[in-house]
Amino acid sequence: MEYRSDFSRCTIDELPALSSRLKAEGWRFVQMLCANTDDGIDMVYSFMKDGHLVNYEIKGVTKGDVVPSITNDFIAAFVFENESHDLFGVNISDIAIDFKGHFYDLAQAEPMTIISPAQKAAKEKAAKLAAAKAAKEKAAAAPQEDDAAAKQAELEAKLAAMDPEKAAKVRAAMEAKAKKEAAALAQAKEKALEEKLAGMDPEKAAKVRAAMAAKAAQAASAKKGGE
Amino acid sequence: MGKATVIPFGPQHPVLPEPLHLDLVVEDEKVIEAIPQIGFVHRGLEKLVETRDYNQFIYVAERICGICAFGHSLGYAETVESLMGVEVPERAEYLRGIWHELSRIHSHILWLGLAADAFGFESLFMHCWRLRERVLSIFEATTGGRVIFSVVKVGGVTRDISADQFAEIKMTLEGIKDEYRQIVNTFMKDTSVKNRTVGVGYLSTEAALNASMVGPFARASNVPYDVRSLGRGAYGKLSDFQPIVDTQGDCYARVKVRANEVLQSIDIIEELIAGIPTGDISVPVKGSPAAGAQASNVVEQPRGECYYFARGNGTKYLDRMRMRTPTSQNLAGMVKALEGCELSDVNMIILTIDPCISCTER
Repeated sequence: MEYRSDFSRCTIDELPALSSRLKAEGWRFVQMLCANTDDGIDMVYSFMKDGHLVNYEIKGVTKGDVVPSITNDFIAAFVFENESHDLFGVNISDIAIDFKGHFYDLAQAEPMTIISPAQKAAKEKAAKLAAAKAAKEKAAAAPQEDDAAAKQAELEAKLAAMDPEKAAKVRAAMEAKAKKEAAALAQAKEKALEEKLAGMDPEKAAKVRAAMAAKAAQAASAKKGGE
Repeated sequence: MGKATVIPFGPQHPVLPEPLHLDLVVEDEKVIEAIPQIGFVHRGLEKLVETRDYNQFIYVAERICGICAFGHSLGYAETVESLMGVEVPERAEYLRGIWHELSRIHSHILWLGLAADAFGFESLFMHCWRLRERVLSIFEATTGGRVIFSVVKVGGVTRDISADQFAEIKMTLEGIKDEYRQIVNTFMKDTSVKNRTVGVGYLSTEAALNASMVGPFARASNVPYDVRSLGRGAYGKLSDFQPIVDTQGDCYARVKVRANEVLQSIDIIEELIAGIPTGDISVPVKGSPAAGAQASNVVEQPRGECYYFARGNGTKYLDRMRMRTPTSQNLAGMVKALEGCELSDVNMIILTIDPCISCTER
């Protein structure tokens, strides 16, 4: 038996049919969790069979949504469904053992939906830093372009005043230098991309790599076709 | 048939080391239904992930439980490593495997002691805990701690074990084996123990599967599921691993499965020590989990499969961390096993799931 873990999407309407199908196919209920997001509560239902762990995500469940219980198929889910109700305020209907909000004895209602000042500050700081970095990069790129255009015009004027043979030599040397710089820049970009991919979720990174390879192949075939 | 009466059981009860409440609906002395309630020690540890970065949170994770402290730090670290695409050195995997199996030994022997205490066999309880002390001494020598070890970090482990220490561990475990077999002999053959365990709290394989049960509780009902058999980490290097199962499905089978798992863990440790490679024990981990990246993971804790989930948000703090512990998964099975039992057997049945309420509530 080999272990693998996947994430998949699901909707509230699809949940009862999904649960019945998985039960009939012999999957084991592993857990259910909630995560608080800006767009509502994300719910993740996990099931396992023969070492294959599948996590089904329901995105953005709001206060008005009623999520059907899966305890008819998987009785072990009653703990998690009551927990989701008490800690996240998710409205779940027909739980086999329903504590009606008294599963946990809490001092604060729906504590997991509260965004703490520390968390809010960290998120705001991260957003500000990202915005400042983007603005700095933009500002650094703009004058460079202007400077480059002015320098190019100045150089062209100088070359026009030169001996044609010498000017040709200078042009050749400049072209070689530009090529070398472009190659170094491409190498640096590739390195930065590899570092970024290494920091990503391996599955996502693999997808990005596949998309990049497909794009490169498409560009190559277009170039070949054009030739 | 007598009148149905509800007897409250817990949260304060001599057999319960942690607060669990049960409403037992009884007719005469027979339990018709049991309704569990938890929530007395909810600590909100999952919420703490918002204010502790992913390196700091490992110390919170291992404080979820005093018995499976190592397992929680391991499960958490593996999940974050999966989230960030970190490859752990092979030696670190072996070291993690050795400490994890030592945790299983001390947890199971502790449980055997508690079970002996529950059916009133005080001297057996003391023998079990005396033996467990020697395993705790191995932890103290190799990690510096007896309960909280803090040796796992994201990217590997913080401490190595020397060849001399390995020799010491092997010698201690060999010494434990003989005494342990004598203790197990009492559990398996003593009439007074059998009177309290054989045929008590029976759960069929079908009922165990329906209740999605995990760990020794499920394996005693002939459900051959053990995360270690998926061959991840150091367990993939073992020559053979077969989950220990039993077909009887009663309290006696649950004692037997745990008792045999201790000997299996000793064999695993000996095999891992024999095959441990040399090399680094950790790799440097830089950066933060990408925004929206998520990973899930399962680890075989002493009480059964534990599930972990992590979601990144682009900062050094995780957006969400989740640990689903074996006890929360086994509550439904426990309720099922209690149905139809004698009132005097309730404490024994509750103990045989080895409930950890601190884990469950986090």
